Amino acid sequence: MSDEVRLEAVDVSKTFGITKAVQHVSEKFYKGEIHALIGENGSGKSTLTNMLTGIYSIDSGKFILDGEEVKPVNQVDANNHGIAIIVQELGTLDGLTVAENIFLGHEDQFVKHGIKNTGAMNKKANELLKEYGFGRIKASDYVDDYNFEDRKLVEIVKSTYFKPKVLVVDETTTALSQEGREELYKVMNRVRDYGGVVIFISHDLQEVLDKSDRITVLRDGVYIGCVNAKDETEDDLKKMMVGREMTGDYYRSDYGEKVSDEVVLSVENVTVPNLIKDVTFQLHKGEILGFGGLSESGMHEVGKAIFGASFDRTGTVKLADGTEINDIPTAIKHSIAYTSKDRDNESVVMNQSIGDNILLPSLDRLGKGPLKIQNHKANRAFAEKYAEEMSVKMVNTNQFVSELSGGNKQKVVLARWLGADSDILVLDSPTRGIDIKVKQDIYQLMDKMRKEGKSIIMISEELMELIGMCDRIIIMRDGQISGELERSRNLDENSLIAKMV
Amino acid sequence: MEKAVTADKAERKSFAQSSTFRAVLPVIGLILVFIIFNILTGGRMITNLSLTISSLYSLMIACTGVFFIMTMGGLDFSQGSILGIAAIVICTVSKVAPVGIAIIAGIAVGAGIGAINGFFYVNRKIKSFIVTICTMFLFRGIIKYLTSDSPVSGAASLQMNYDTVPVKLTCMLIVVALGIFFFEFTRFGTDLRAIGAGEKAAKFAGIRTDRMKFWVYVLSGAITGFAAFVSVVHAGSVTSSGGNQLETQILIALVLGGMPISGGAKVRFENVIVGALLYTILQSGLQMLGMSTQTMQMIESVVFLVFVLIFADRQSIQVIK
Repeated sequence: MSDEVRLEAVDVSKTFGITKAVQHVSEKFYKGEIHALIGENGSGKSTLTNMLTGIYSIDSGKFILDGEEVKPVNQVDANNHGIAIIVQELGTLDGLTVAENIFLGHEDQFVKHGIKNTGAMNKKANELLKEYGFGRIKASDYVDDYNFEDRKLVEIVKSTYFKPKVLVVDETTTALSQEGREELYKVMNRVRDYGGVVIFISHDLQEVLDKSDRITVLRDGVYIGCVNAKDETEDDLKKMMVGREMTGDYYRSDYGEKVSDEVVLSVENVTVPNLIKDVTFQLHKGEILGFGGLSESGMHEVGKAIFGASFDRTGTVKLADGTEINDIPTAIKHSIAYTSKDRDNESVVMNQSIGDNILLPSLDRLGKGPLKIQNHKANRAFAEKYAEEMSVKMVNTNQFVSELSGGNKQKVVLARWLGADSDILVLDSPTRGIDIKVKQDIYQLMDKMRKEGKSIIMISEELMELIGMCDRIIIMRDGQISGELERSRNLDENSLIAKMV
Repeated sequence: MEKAVTADKAERKSFAQSSTFRAVLPVIGLILVFIIFNILTGGRMITNLSLTISSLYSLMIACTGVFFIMTMGGLDFSQGSILGIAAIVICTVSKVAPVGIAIIAGIAVGAGIGAINGFFYVNRKIKSFIVTICTMFLFRGIIKYLTSDSPVSGAASLQMNYDTVPVKLTCMLIVVALGIFFFEFTRFGTDLRAIGAGEKAAKFAGIRTDRMKFWVYVLSGAITGFAAFVSVVHAGSVTSSGGNQLETQILIALVLGGMPISGGAKVRFENVIVGALLYTILQSGLQMLGMSTQTMQMIESVVFLVFVLIFADRQSIQVIK
């Protein structure tokens, strides 16, 4: 980090209606630093960086980059000013090739006399991919052919190949597995080394402390302070973010409790072509069973397979009473719940109300008579009850889910399954992209459910939460189970990683 | 970000996107259009009300089926051909069998064509507008073939006994009442809206989306088959243009009724009722003013475009930032 200022935010504000999302934030960003931006959901981190990257307009105040005011009108314009962003959710476009995604909005360099030279574009893209070490991704392939993780890597190349002066990394790491994260860290360090600024938004405080030079904390749109990463601990940061000491347990605190022998779900020789092979395990009553592994280890598919959502699955998923689960409606009818890693596409119906989202799996139970006649008033009360139980921040249950933050969407999903009174919950990445306060709520909810005799399968890329929450952790590698670990105080991340790779 | 995002949406949500506006504008439009045409025609519209709305019955019935399809985000351009074929079947059967059998035959043929649409759309994963455009041409061809020598006429009793306002009104009201009941008071409506708003997520919420999509096409075809009966009793026979352009009329009517063309959560059953009324009055009014078909088509298409502009559910169209 040099003492030369690269970027300065001067008294930047943004309001949405009556909400003051960002209030008079000023901060200097120096050449060659990784500057973390932390705060709870709704603290204004993304709003601030979205103004810088041209996604939102600036209400008042200004950004000064290398001594000149910048006011990007959109992301391409921001790129031309040397500002790039990698977003939390998918930032690549379906139906375009990898190369077309990388050069989206900057195709002109390959156009001669009005004709685009696709060959040159693919060649350049392949060179870049190789340079980044992502050689297995091919420039001419459609981006749809790649999974979430690889598409994130494409996005990393897209945002950084032109050596941006400022790179915003907006909660990207939660979407990535450990390998993917390492790649991202490398790129961040590279930007720092050539004198750029990385603005790093993350909810993972340990990661923030490890990777960044300085940390700015926002709370409710207000600038709280900026600290040096090396002087702080996780608890200091939490205190700054929340404005008070965190109370109560974060993870579970019990050890050595005996789990019931009663098997509620047995999975036998489940295989999904190219994804998982011969997976066999049993889930007990009141147990939290964790699944860990690299993102491609097949562990996410295990969740889908149990819920009856996999294509071409073989093997059996059987309940204690012998019922076989082969499709989603059967799973739901027999009290199985599932939250997907891909929250926006699979867990919630985005463009539908919170109320309907909560009600969907319970409509059959709520309906009266053979025609399942619905009582709107009772249904509304039902949705409100569970939304309140999960303390979803909302105007009312008619509000669309698309208007909620990631954490609140996840609360809607959990409210739905609470309402359906599910006995077996398959939670895939339940805390992805969620701030610590809501995370704590979710962990405590899981603990409560466990004590009520409900069984939970928790699939997660965050090893700490697996260690903190699970009675047993199954580790997956290359689509197969590679090991199993019991709950213990002595368990650490390294013992899990050893089985993962 | 929750507060910020909510407010941002609220800010961007212009008045035109608000649900009250969506619900009220078509009704206001309906009343205004009715008043304006009455003034322009010197009250002829209100005195000839039964004539004015003579084409309403079959349109509103057919709209109900397409409404279900559009709620789940699909389209159906084969409606006119379904009506034409079903009408030919009803006419032919009515000459040899009681009218009840003729109606059932019409419904069955409609359902059959709906099943063809549904099969290619659901099982073969072809976009619904492509499939239904194909079936539209296919069955239009068959209609033309069957009517090439002379129009197919039905039994004389058909027109004599059933071409009365009470019969046609009852037919329409039964369909609308059943539609309202199932759409509003059973999970049918919620499921359709969920599919329209996000099919994948709807599937993960336990809806058998593929089965639902297929049967809704069958249902819609059956309803239009029934509409064919109402249309036949009015016309008495079927010509090669029987049911021609019904699909466009339905589409325009639903959009005039305030239906977002992409379906989804903002759909309301009122869209069918208000839309069919508004379209019929607009059509009859222009006719009474002595407009030529060409002028009417132009006026209608402009009105259509304006309403699509107003009601397009832009929030639900995925924007990738």
